[in-house]
Amino acid sequence: MRMAGEDFVKALSDLDEAKVIELTEKRIKSKEDPFSIIEDVRKATEIIGRRFEEGRYFVSDLIMAGEILKQVMDILRPVMGKRKGVSKGKVVVGTVEGDVHDIGLSIVTALLEAEGFEVVNLGVDQPPQAFIEAIRKHNPKVVGLSGLLTEAIESMKKTVEAIKAAGLRDKVKIIVGGGRVSGEVKEYTGADEWADDAAVGVRKIKALAEVA
Amino acid sequence: MQLYKERLERLEAVMKGKEPDRVPIYAATAVWHGAYAGYTTRDVLFNYEKSREAALKVARDFDFDAWAVIAGLEGMILCAAFIEKAPEIGVPARFLVGRFHEALKDVFTRWPGIELAENAHPQFIGKEVMSVEEYGQLAENPVDFLNKVILPRMCEKLQNPGSPEYNAALARFGLEVERYSSFFNSLIGGLISLGYPAIPMAWSYAPLDFIGDFLRDVRNVVLDLYRHPDKVKQAVKALTPLFVKTAAVSGFVPPEVKRALGTDMVLCFFPLHLNEYLNPKLYKEFYWPYLKKVFEEVIKLGQTPFVLFEGKHDAHLETLLDLPKKKVVGVFEKTDPRKVKEVAGDHVILVSGPPNALLIGGTPQKVEEFMKKLLEDVKEGGLMIWPGVDGGLSRDAKPENVKAMVEAIKKYGKY
Repeated sequence: MRMAGEDFVKALSDLDEAKVIELTEKRIKSKEDPFSIIEDVRKATEIIGRRFEEGRYFVSDLIMAGEILKQVMDILRPVMGKRKGVSKGKVVVGTVEGDVHDIGLSIVTALLEAEGFEVVNLGVDQPPQAFIEAIRKHNPKVVGLSGLLTEAIESMKKTVEAIKAAGLRDKVKIIVGGGRVSGEVKEYTGADEWADDAAVGVRKIKALAEVA
Repeated sequence: MQLYKERLERLEAVMKGKEPDRVPIYAATAVWHGAYAGYTTRDVLFNYEKSREAALKVARDFDFDAWAVIAGLEGMILCAAFIEKAPEIGVPARFLVGRFHEALKDVFTRWPGIELAENAHPQFIGKEVMSVEEYGQLAENPVDFLNKVILPRMCEKLQNPGSPEYNAALARFGLEVERYSSFFNSLIGGLISLGYPAIPMAWSYAPLDFIGDFLRDVRNVVLDLYRHPDKVKQAVKALTPLFVKTAAVSGFVPPEVKRALGTDMVLCFFPLHLNEYLNPKLYKEFYWPYLKKVFEEVIKLGQTPFVLFEGKHDAHLETLLDLPKKKVVGVFEKTDPRKVKEVAGDHVILVSGPPNALLIGGTPQKVEEFMKKLLEDVKEGGLMIWPGVDGGLSRDAKPENVKAMVEAIKKYGKY
């Protein structure tokens, strides 16, 4: 069974879609514990993220990875029943008010879930109040504010300020993310971290959640 | 007209690969002029008089070398669909403006005061309107397919060809194109009288981007490259001549107009989108060969490709060396211009500038420091500045920071 795991991690990190699906089904058929498959998914996701940061993988590869991960989880979900894996904690993510883009948000959500986080994805065009309510309800370790537009920068700032005014700033770490986000944006918005790609974003969220 | 001539010479020199007297500034925006004049994004996108007034106010208050208001979202599909049978519609409909959205109810875009808040920035979201099985049909006759199959799916008002609603929508669209054209021409006229040069711009596109942006959507086209590579390749091959045609038709400038404008240059606009997404293997197989072919044909037409290399282009910089030298103007959004110089030397005409984050969150002093370093590092051999290098001036760019940028260029950008 160890061999199956290694092959699976290799196939997934090499983005070999057909082989990953074949191996997943094979492992389920041989009654393997789905949680050991999930552990391999996490291992492969880590390799994918590393390859992205090393410049060997690109966004196209992350999109393909997200697609394969989704199919694997669809196969695993029915056999996992009600058992839950060990959660690395909750993360609330959403695109800020005025911005309706979600491609970055979806990739980050897929990668975080594969890493074992419980992700509350609020969706796009979310006003500050939606983040505040989600923090109160879910008590996340990290809040991720996403946005593609340069006009999202001002919204991110308003959201961080509103979280502060609601007295919740000390309870969460905040990361801002998106193609036009930079160190400058982190400073300006008052966030704790920033990322302009999904893989770095996931690594920084892990660090913020203190599970890195 | 002294100012017009001076600015034009500066712009032309740099875009022809020479060092002008100082680094020129090519400023463009969708809504920043409105914010500067105290208008909402809804105001300037739907009220052409307000947009014109705000744009002329910026033209008077700031000293750019070229100044363009691009009031629409990505709309090359309209240009491509109409270019053969109605170029007088296809050419000015290159950017999808709010009034076209109202007339056609396209499913791709979202607008302030319609789907978004009054002061939100309009957004192109896109949608999958073509299935993977239809690549062959697209390849067989792209323009026919766009008109018969795609427009009805892309526009709610065009769902039933031949219906009263369909006819009314197309008539209304034509009217709105005419209204937009007269606004645009009157704005250009106003800018010329304030000494802002008008260099004609033609329209083209990277064939694979066309599929990603308008037909399959970005995520699907990426997956198609892994799952159905041959189908995609057949389609990009078929689309390649279409984007030579859009350039040829939109870039035709009668000799008397060239004389009146004082320039024989015609730029050809290419916004690249999937370049950042694709790994070098996919880029070299599906994207670059076809885009390169379009570049080469457009250069043969006497046009100068004006290319927005959106996102990070780092991994593909070496391919720029495949192009004829100093024939392509490249705006690099997130690629360090120093790196572009290092890899591509003076092969492409370099355009860079301060990112919007700096113009929004920075101070005049920080902007000056940034500009000084940028100019010292890369102005040698020719450089143009595109303020808010990530998409043009953002709604929230602070006027004092934009002023500081202009001053810094005058101070450190002389040759």
